[in-house]
Amino acid sequence: MTRASDAPSPVVDRRGFIKAGALVGGGLLIGTYLRFGPDDAFAETAPAAATDFAPNLFLSIAPSGVVTIIAPNSEMGQGIKTGLPMIVAEELDVTWNQVTVVQGDLNPAYGRQASVGSGSTVGNYAALRRAGATARAMLIAAAAETWSVPAGECTTEKGSVVHAASKRRASYGELATKAATMPTPTDAPLKDPNSFKLLGTRVAGVDNAKIVTGAPLFGIDVRLPGMVYATYTKCPVFGGTVSSANIDEVRARPGVRDAFVLDNIPGLPSGVAIVADSTWNAFSATKALQVKWNEGAVASQNSSEMAKQAEQLAKATLPDALPADATRIEAGYHYPFLAHATLEPQNCTALFKNGVMEMWTPTQIPASGQGLVTRGLGIASKDVVVHITRLGGGFGRRGSNEFSIEAAAIAKRLEGIPVKVMWTREHDFAHDNYRSNGWHFFTAGLDRAGKVVALHDAFVKMQGGPGDMTAGGFPFTAIPGSKVASSKLPAGIPTGFWRAPGDNGNTWATQSFIDELAHAAGRDPMAFTLDLLDAVPGAGAGGPGRGFSPDKMKAVIKLATEKAGWGRPRPRGEGQGFAITQTNNAYVAIVADVTVSRGGTLAVTRLTAAVDCGTIINLSAAESQVQGAMLDGISAAWFQKILIEGGAAGQTNFDEYPMMRMPQSPRVVEVHFVKSTAPPTGLGEPGLPAAAPAVCNAIFAATGKRIRTLPITDVDLKWS
Amino acid sequence: MSKYTLRVNGQPHSVDVASDTPMLWVLRDALGLVGTKYGCGIGECGACTIHVDGKPKRACQTMVSTVGAAAVVTIEGLDAGANHPLQQAWGELDVPQCGYCQAGQIMTAAALLKRKALPTDADIDSAMEGNLCRCASYVRIRDGIKRAAEIASGSTPARGGNS
Repeated sequence: MTRASDAPSPVVDRRGFIKAGALVGGGLLIGTYLRFGPDDAFAETAPAAATDFAPNLFLSIAPSGVVTIIAPNSEMGQGIKTGLPMIVAEELDVTWNQVTVVQGDLNPAYGRQASVGSGSTVGNYAALRRAGATARAMLIAAAAETWSVPAGECTTEKGSVVHAASKRRASYGELATKAATMPTPTDAPLKDPNSFKLLGTRVAGVDNAKIVTGAPLFGIDVRLPGMVYATYTKCPVFGGTVSSANIDEVRARPGVRDAFVLDNIPGLPSGVAIVADSTWNAFSATKALQVKWNEGAVASQNSSEMAKQAEQLAKATLPDALPADATRIEAGYHYPFLAHATLEPQNCTALFKNGVMEMWTPTQIPASGQGLVTRGLGIASKDVVVHITRLGGGFGRRGSNEFSIEAAAIAKRLEGIPVKVMWTREHDFAHDNYRSNGWHFFTAGLDRAGKVVALHDAFVKMQGGPGDMTAGGFPFTAIPGSKVASSKLPAGIPTGFWRAPGDNGNTWATQSFIDELAHAAGRDPMAFTLDLLDAVPGAGAGGPGRGFSPDKMKAVIKLATEKAGWGRPRPRGEGQGFAITQTNNAYVAIVADVTVSRGGTLAVTRLTAAVDCGTIINLSAAESQVQGAMLDGISAAWFQKILIEGGAAGQTNFDEYPMMRMPQSPRVVEVHFVKSTAPPTGLGEPGLPAAAPAVCNAIFAATGKRIRTLPITDVDLKWS
Repeated sequence: MSKYTLRVNGQPHSVDVASDTPMLWVLRDALGLVGTKYGCGIGECGACTIHVDGKPKRACQTMVSTVGAAAVVTIEGLDAGANHPLQQAWGELDVPQCGYCQAGQIMTAAALLKRKALPTDADIDSAMEGNLCRCASYVRIRDGIKRAAEIASGSTPARGGNS
């Protein structure tokens, strides 16, 4: 993989941590904790040694020529551990095979380490370009001084500075020691995006070699000397607390070291910790655990009751009369709670020693885990060290950090003994921060020409969490006087960020309803959408806080529909559907091709996406993200629901919560990108929201059946 | 606790574990072979797929007491040079997203290729159905299996990874 075997040995300090000096721009030397442990394969090398050229925290160049670049954010499959270092390497002007990538720990000096909202690239792009360009300028300055030539006459290529006139060339490794003595410029020139050599190409993930050989990499893979294994069992009813438990019986189980109740720790739900000498013994003892719970008020909540309440709330906000001659069209849409179900269940490893809490955490927001530990256990943040491991899937789940405070609370009690807290799959389903269920009760008016003259959305979701609706986005902005009336069901069920929050359900509902309107107007759905886009006032100004360009949207619609062969007549049982989204500032149009047998068996045969996400960082990862996001959205819409029964999640494992598998995956999944040198948008999420409505609209085209409730498997698709 | 001598990746290993311990946790906790992943514990996701006497098995459903002298192969031992055609193809096509399921995918696919050197799409569908990919990297997994079959048959030379 990407590790330099000749990197200098890091220094081990008295506390057993490895420290490495890294120079920031101002010349300040700060300590960075790095991984330690007997499992050398898990450890990555120190970012910099004193003899290296380390102009900033993000990169260092050794005299050997090895370029080490820090990946500051959490890798969960979105390609960020490869993509962010590529940005540095581009501006530094080195070839990718010179680069060693090292995962950064939590360190405020790195800037935006939260990997949520498709924001890692957007939030770090400028700073990482500057980091690379600054180093390049200092290497040029070093060469120019050595050769006594003007810096302006020097250029760089493939990790060398070149002075063409005198035919001189020096590698970055040769220049490293001198470059370290050059002043740090504050205005180093950035490349013209049109001259990028690395960005936009296909680069394989830096951890691939470890992944395909099973090397330790993920949070669950962390092993420390003397480590013990723990589970933490919470009340299945949200907000419930421990009344009593058969602790003595559990302590007597094979391999169990200890069992205890944790309560009254701020930020930590009440529960029972079981500590054992192996994961299996911890899991076995957890099965034998019997707890009497104080279930609390949420025990009365059920999905079926919520549906009735939602309808009542929505009724109170329905519109009055429509324009006199308008045809009234109404439809109610519902999507259920979803679990994240990351394939790696939640986990965290912690060691509390000499007043320091050291943690190995698969987290999307390492600082929030640190904050939970600081507030919950009263340990100063400087003494809460967070190492970021690879994540076996994120999807927003690991933006919350309950596993961090659980591991830290148990580790504090076991002072000096490292402990890995491992959630069972059942715990993982039972204690998610679910995608909120939601309801849209649409009312629209069509005039005699088939134009939309009124649009009203009575929207209902759970109190709290993301995913609220406003009338500030398309299609509402295209229809004067359109309105979204938003109501909330009482809180209780924890909801949170699920890939493309809000859009993941709301785009399905609105894009399905627009398709309904197009058919009601006797129009082609694509042409109908293009007309609506023409009606959006003030192109580029859009709704509050989100600029919207109808022209960019039209461009991706044109590209996707052309590539997909939109509009060709198809026999009954075959259909094409079309949907669009603007998510995280990227523009996406998707055409889905489906077949539905007379017996009602659905097959998605082809997906064609067109995407404008600005500058592409890594074409391989970009394509992969859009493919995966589309299939993720379709998988959720097709198969998945969490039903709340008695204040608890009713689904416990993958047998009760199916997902798309290989046979259901379309054989053809095309992703076409619009060429752009605009700054990059996010891309981990934008591929998702329009996929499910494209499929549902295709089902309508094939069968005449409109999917207004998810999952699709709840709807009988038989036709004759 | 009971003592067992297991043959894993060609090496004998002695372990002292409860007799109902699934091989998944023997491999991960007792032997430190963490490439075999825990996903569901009920044989639904395939992340823990290993080979027992050449056949793909769910390590979470294979009790240590039932293994005896059978040859166990994990992702760590799939190929001595870490250069199995599937490992090459996975690198070439940049198959993994989060990567957590991929050891299981590769172990299942390796058993398929042993059985059928040039699998059809239908073969791939039926062989791979038991392996969930939560990132839904199915398009590249399918392409990766086909590419590995090509590499193994020598019909086209390996291109090498693009990093």
